[in-house]
Amino acid sequence: MTSPPVQLQAITPSLPTRRDKAVAPFRIMTWISKTITLLGAVLLGHACYSAQEHSALQSFKAATTTLTSTSAVASLPIDIAIETVVATLVILLGLVLGTRPLRPIQWNVWAGKIEREGEEGFLDSEGEMNRDFVGNPFSFLETRPGFVDIRKQRKEFAGWIKNSGPQ
Amino acid sequence: MSSERELQISPIVQEAVMNNSKTLYNLQSLTASLFGVGAGILGLESYSGFLFYVVCSLLTTMLFYVLRVAPTSLPSGKAAFDASRYFRSQFEFWTGGLMNGLAGFILTWTLFYGLVRA
Repeated sequence: MTSPPVQLQAITPSLPTRRDKAVAPFRIMTWISKTITLLGAVLLGHACYSAQEHSALQSFKAATTTLTSTSAVASLPIDIAIETVVATLVILLGLVLGTRPLRPIQWNVWAGKIEREGEEGFLDSEGEMNRDFVGNPFSFLETRPGFVDIRKQRKEFAGWIKNSGPQ
Repeated sequence: MSSERELQISPIVQEAVMNNSKTLYNLQSLTASLFGVGAGILGLESYSGFLFYVVCSLLTTMLFYVLRVAPTSLPSGKAAFDASRYFRSQFEFWTGGLMNGLAGFILTWTLFYGLVRA
């Protein structure tokens, strides 16, 4: 009956080492996605500033020279438009790459993934264990006590009674 | 409905469903605000702005499918554009982004339109 605590002690220290091994690829993925997002944000900021300057210049022109029509205010230069669209797509790519990994929703697929990959399949993008991770659903099968030979125990008990019982 | 029986035969992990839909929801809310910034800078108005949002939102879901769902979904025998490995409702997966981020999109759209064209 003392076996379960011993097994628990054997299992618990092995968790951090597994986690350390799994951290590296997730860190790299996070780093890539953050770099892409930052690049896109710089582009988008530049495009926003350019558009604002263009608009201010147009309104200044319209105010000083009354001959030109005001319809020029609405049109944006094509390079600013292209920069905006490209920046949006770049940030979008960075954000999608930065999402947390998904988990299978069907119980058999999910449990099979845990069985094959252990905790590494369930780390989020920061390399941290998720709080709602419940662990291997089959672990109770692996740590349960073996079968008890009740007849053998009865025989032993009967022998013990015979030897030391009636005195 | 026979879905009750199917659920008994192949059960669903609720926390995995929650995790996946939360991931998708966060992405859609964030990108919707981003599209608002883009639409505001481009100076889109009325229908063209909403069209921009619809196209970009579908593009987001498409990119999410290609980068996150397809690499593990296709080898497991699912058909293309079938996200049933990770999401229960296909319709919700493909079109949920349209409603999730609309408020954030309009907010940043009007804000940046006003900022740029002051």
